[in-house]
Amino acid sequence: MTIENKKGWISWFNPFKYGTDRWMYALHRLTGIALGLYLIAHVWETSNILNGPVTWNKIMVDLDYPFGAHYGPYILSLILLVAVYHAMNGIRLTIVENGLMLPKPYRPEFPYKAKSLRGLNNLLKIVLGIFMIVISIVGVYYIFTGAVL
Amino acid sequence: MRESQIMFMQYLTGLLIVVFGSFHFLLISVLSPAPDKILYIYNSSTTVHALVGGTLFYANVKAVYTSLAWGSVLELLLTFLVFHVFNGFRTILSEQFPGGRAEKFITYSLLIIALIVFIWGSRTVVVALNGGL
Repeated sequence: MTIENKKGWISWFNPFKYGTDRWMYALHRLTGIALGLYLIAHVWETSNILNGPVTWNKIMVDLDYPFGAHYGPYILSLILLVAVYHAMNGIRLTIVENGLMLPKPYRPEFPYKAKSLRGLNNLLKIVLGIFMIVISIVGVYYIFTGAVL
Repeated sequence: MRESQIMFMQYLTGLLIVVFGSFHFLLISVLSPAPDKILYIYNSSTTVHALVGGTLFYANVKAVYTSLAWGSVLELLLTFLVFHVFNGFRTILSEQFPGGRAEKFITYSLLIIALIVFIWGSRTVVVALNGGL
């Protein structure tokens, strides 16, 4: 039986009904789509190594100066942030969706607040969030300065 | 293949991408064979871009692609990424356009695009390893 998806992708965004996990879910999907499209562009970009040093070096310089300005490090930093978020949230989803770090099944009781969204799941969000911030700071600092913190 | 098995593969490739992707980031930074472990070198007075000596300079990238060990890492990363990305796209699109015929169309269309991306990326690694640079 086919169930019609009436709301479509708009339903990804409904913070009033679902809260933080819903936002994380929407961001996971958006970052996933962005990284997927980036993969296709990256495969094309790196294939130019086969066209020799002149083509390769020109592409590297052009990508560092898109639209005639020095946006390269900013774009690269954005890609890094998107990748780190997707990776960290992906690790959390792998743990939680496989039933780990969740409370034992219980009888629903009023006011029906899901225990699965609190406790260890929240701790996991905080720990991976800290990891995300540290990795992002180290990565962005390296992109702009070439130095390792 | 059952959807549960495909989802297991999605989790597994995701974790493998974190491991191999970390190698990839290290490869263009601290583990690069470049003399200067820096992406770009700028002349601070003119802000002119210079690749020479940096990790993205042709000779330094070539050294990576002609190494069997690093070439294998990149090929494995590409394999995991292509599965993870295109299965992710399939999941999202199947949710947006549910139904047997639509899902079949989505699956086979994405399979063809995934194969093109995989062959295209593998070509770079294989040709480089076989002295094509």
